[in-house]
Amino acid sequence: MIAKYAGIAPKGDLILLQKLGEIFRDKSFLHINSTRAGGGVAEILQRMIPILRDLGIDARWETIEGDERFFDITKKIHNAIQGNFEVITEEMWQYHYEVNKRNAKKLNLEADAVLIHDPQPAPLIEFKIQDYSESGNVPWLWRCHIDVSNPVQEVCDYLRRYCEKYDAAIFSVSKFARAMSIDEFIIPPSIDPLSEKNRELTEDEIRETLEKYKIPADRPIMLQVSRFDRFKDPIGVIKAYRIVKRYNDCILILAGSPASDDPEGEIVLNEVRDYASNDPDIHILLLPTFSDKDINALQRSATVVLQKSLKEGFGLTVSEAMWKGKPVIGGATGGIPLQIVHGFTGFLVHTSEGAAFRVRQFLNNPEMVKKMGERGKEYIRNNFLITRQVRDYLSVWYAIKNNEKSVFEL
Amino acid sequence: MNDIKNHAKPFEFMQCISILKSTAKRAKTLRELRDLIATVSEESIFHHTCQYFLKGRIREYTNDFAHWVGESLEESAMAEQLSSIDPYEFKNIPELRTSLLTVVDNYLEDFPEPREALAGEEFYFNETITIVFPARIRAKNLAEFLIAIRYIDGASIYYHFHEARTRLGGGIDDFSKWFDEVLGERELAKKLWAIDPFMHSIEGIREQIMEIVDEKVKNDMEITGVEE
Repeated sequence: MIAKYAGIAPKGDLILLQKLGEIFRDKSFLHINSTRAGGGVAEILQRMIPILRDLGIDARWETIEGDERFFDITKKIHNAIQGNFEVITEEMWQYHYEVNKRNAKKLNLEADAVLIHDPQPAPLIEFKIQDYSESGNVPWLWRCHIDVSNPVQEVCDYLRRYCEKYDAAIFSVSKFARAMSIDEFIIPPSIDPLSEKNRELTEDEIRETLEKYKIPADRPIMLQVSRFDRFKDPIGVIKAYRIVKRYNDCILILAGSPASDDPEGEIVLNEVRDYASNDPDIHILLLPTFSDKDINALQRSATVVLQKSLKEGFGLTVSEAMWKGKPVIGGATGGIPLQIVHGFTGFLVHTSEGAAFRVRQFLNNPEMVKKMGERGKEYIRNNFLITRQVRDYLSVWYAIKNNEKSVFEL
Repeated sequence: MNDIKNHAKPFEFMQCISILKSTAKRAKTLRELRDLIATVSEESIFHHTCQYFLKGRIREYTNDFAHWVGESLEESAMAEQLSSIDPYEFKNIPELRTSLLTVVDNYLEDFPEPREALAGEEFYFNETITIVFPARIRAKNLAEFLIAIRYIDGASIYYHFHEARTRLGGGIDDFSKWFDEVLGERELAKKLWAIDPFMHSIEGIREQIMEIVDEKVKNDMEITGVEE
């Protein structure tokens, strides 16, 4: 499988992956998160586990189970960490812990390295098997995918009780890292160029999707792909579209899939439908889970792609669109500025008006669209492909096992 | 000379990757930046200066401190001064640290303190863990070197051209060292020494090296004199 990335991913990343694969051959590497479908974390894990196995590592992926109450609580924790005011009572925290305790009894937590994703399963550290490895040094890493740059402090402090029991934390962006008593690594997420969502498509495949969703291909297309979540600012995107529409005839597509751990999705979707108020050129698509080929086709048929988030963990849809050579306009938040080098691989904006202005620039300047698209694709190749992320996780594991010198020669 | 070339030690291409590690220290004002430059680890100073080029971004500054002062504090004059500091000129990181502090201190003495950075635009101090490994490419002569330099990853050029200056000192890089000491091609080495590492991206450096070596290989291949 790793051989399929030859000629696509940087050669050095593939060489290092093979070396690290030899070092960790037959070692077990357990990943745990809270959903198998929907959202960026599940998507990365679906692609990463087979790559790790192909390298000879015994990679496993488990998910924790919870009821509606549990996911309501974890959604509130998620929102509070991203800066929305929420009150998490002691009783709620206790329930969060109890559900994790039940999961810990069911899950096989024996592994040579464990990576826990996001706050939902963070309390699992309390159930770490201390003497699993002969060396006694099983790294437990907490991977935070969300924007914690401006959290509700009480919620952050409570969660820290769990986080600081891990061997290290991993954040997507430097500014998300908090002052903690453990090591904190910065590893941006990534996209898989070979996945159904990112592979090359034929013209027929693209046309098929547009026909399926009754989208005319006769005008420029503005596209935002994201969950229906207020932090993604779908209303702001419609505002931008309405400004653009005064100058350039175009179509807006807002496309997203539901996530099983996001109970607010339907409420926001209804708000967006109301705001769009039956404009025939606004296409709001609630795509079924695993609509990867359709998302791929929509991105490839777009003229301009937006990710106008107000808060963002990382915003991988930006990398997806850039990989397809599309110019991207993104909110200057979370990991988006890491992907969009303003004025070089796309534009960063702060308002709907700013987004509208940049869309108009692109619609009126095809040469700029082409140049930024080309640069963007190379930038993604060198920095945001899945091979780089697997390489980074294994490198952190290696560094922790080897007492974290600052330079290693393999 | 030919004898040297025929039995020359091949050039083994290496490359490196760096994993960012947060220090969780951040500066919002120039004074905070100054105080943290004075106290952060040597690894952090190294990362924000010497490893700047590994990021592969095209910017108008030559280190992260200058970039932040120029872009987030909008203090162009100080950004220019910080940008003119050549981290490879110093024997060690403490000397480089002192030089950075001198620029900031002089500025704070002469000018009013700049505004603080907007929320989210603070300077975040990081360190790195670096892994060095063979790129699995070996060049036995200049012709092979020319083909290799065209295709190796940018991270390999960074390792041999930029990072080598810290390892070897004296403005020397691995490529010119091999030309000079192994192939006996001092003139070629001198041409590499003349490349300004600050004025090009990694890809720009690749093009410069290719051009210089290409010319040399072509000249060596030409048959001079009159054939009988």
